[in-house]
Amino acid sequence: MSNSSASNRFVDRIGRERLSRIALYVVMYGIAIAFFIPFWRMFQLSVTPAGLVASGEFFLIPSDVTFAYWERFLVQEPIIYQWAFNTFLIASITTFLVLVVDSMIAFSLTRLKWPGRSVVLGVILASFMIPGYVNIIPLFTVVNNLGMVNSYWAIILPFAAGPLGVFLLVQFFRDIPKELEEAARLDGFSPFRIYAQIIMPLSTPILTALGLFVFIWSWNQFLWPLIVLNNDQLYTLPIGVVTLRSVNALAPNVIMTSLALASLPLFIVFLLFQDKLISSVQMQAGTG
Amino acid sequence: MAENVDTATANTSSGFFNRFISERSTRELIIGLLFASPYLTLFAVFMLYPLAKGLYMSLFEWNFLRPSESTFVGVGNYARLLSDPVFWNALWNTLEFVAMTVPLIVGLSLVLALGLNKELVGDRLLQFLYFSPYVLTVSVVGLIWVQMFAEGGIGTFLLGSLIEGSPLNSNLWAMPSLVITTVWWQTGFYFAILLASRQNVPERLYEAARLDGAGPWRMFRDITLPHMKNGLLFVVIASTIFQFQVFGQPFVMTRGGPSGETQTLVYYLYQLGFETRQLGFGSAVGYTLLAILVVVSALNYYIVGTNNE
Repeated sequence: MSNSSASNRFVDRIGRERLSRIALYVVMYGIAIAFFIPFWRMFQLSVTPAGLVASGEFFLIPSDVTFAYWERFLVQEPIIYQWAFNTFLIASITTFLVLVVDSMIAFSLTRLKWPGRSVVLGVILASFMIPGYVNIIPLFTVVNNLGMVNSYWAIILPFAAGPLGVFLLVQFFRDIPKELEEAARLDGFSPFRIYAQIIMPLSTPILTALGLFVFIWSWNQFLWPLIVLNNDQLYTLPIGVVTLRSVNALAPNVIMTSLALASLPLFIVFLLFQDKLISSVQMQAGTG
Repeated sequence: MAENVDTATANTSSGFFNRFISERSTRELIIGLLFASPYLTLFAVFMLYPLAKGLYMSLFEWNFLRPSESTFVGVGNYARLLSDPVFWNALWNTLEFVAMTVPLIVGLSLVLALGLNKELVGDRLLQFLYFSPYVLTVSVVGLIWVQMFAEGGIGTFLLGSLIEGSPLNSNLWAMPSLVITTVWWQTGFYFAILLASRQNVPERLYEAARLDGAGPWRMFRDITLPHMKNGLLFVVIASTIFQFQVFGQPFVMTRGGPSGETQTLVYYLYQLGFETRQLGFGSAVGYTLLAILVVVSALNYYIVGTNNE
């Protein structure tokens, strides 16, 4: 490259490359800081005394700090523990159910030969076209008729049979070599043992990724729990923090503390499983 | 269930050879369905049945408390929808929201993905910061941004010279405020997908192009874009369909206001179903939304699919 251009052009090119490198850092870190500001605002307000908030002035670091609001939620009004427990329970059961039910049907569709299985797969994949929210009114009447309103099952069951898990697991199971299974069959393994002792252990990576994604999705569900829950002992965190807002309409620092507490668990999950979670998002692009 | 399967295995291996074929295939059908049935039951009860029931309900003035006393109105609900100004307003607002949000999300996530592909110092931290809003629930996101746009908030601080009071109370700025909130919340998800898509472009193509004297713009146009086509296609379609169903942001931040400026289709669906209990008409709105989304994703697929050829 260098022998084809004059030496001053070469220097110029090095200078330009360094300049564009600097610009790249400025842009990328600038956006990162902009993305961080709302988090900072949340944390900042949660430790700012009410008097300072009421002054309505703009500040980055509050001149005075209090942990009274954190104490209020953690010690004095511990309803947030109940909500966290509800959310955790619902998200865990949903994740477990999705993994079991989806892996069973994916096993059936890829490893067992029965007439009509390709039609079944086609129908399930076609349901990708139906966005979850368009159906909420008839779905509510169904759940209501089953007597499940105001119970955890109303949140767990309706979205447990989604197409995403089936799609991902079918692709993964297809690539597991047939030989393993044939050897096991010669050893007298039943289909159930092949599923439980061969296919499932081999699929740990994809099951973890799918499970993590389902867990976070379930934890963050908003519209549907809002419809089927109306008892504050049963609320999940996403619903609970909204009702707190209407009670504490004029105290942003109280609200911000509840939000910080509500988002903390998933933040920890994200910190621990950053790579796993991001790769579980990336897998989904294959569904397009 | 394990027992059932085990006895089935035992039966055939003890072997009636003349009936082996048919017995074997019935056995396979039974085992296959056994494994499929938990999923299929849930799928039928909570997906297929409500889908059919919604279409049925949309033909009635549905009585929630006494469904048997519902009045059949045929396509009446759909006719009513066509002359319903609230529906058209909600549709318009939704389109406005999608038209602002999707290009911003796709553009920003593409910039972030291309930038982060350049091996920067601290790229794991950057990736963490870009993605982190996505792990928040919509109500937390909405309430944080209510404060961002409140008095003394940074959003208002930056927009301060343009408007008086909170932008969430302004007819002009309420919707853009929801758009900014959504871009912050959602970009990380699409950024992660585009980053993977960019990393799958073989580096040797760039080396070859560099030897041919190609500039950055030509490499972007002739190598990066065509090779990221599938990733981009997914991002555009998935974000369009997702943003079309916007509900939490207006519900939490503006209650559809000021004066209906941020009322969206799913919000209207929610109000019809769970505030005014017009379930029949609501189902018609739901089905119309479904039809719109199927057309939109088909159009998207067609337009994006041919443009990047």
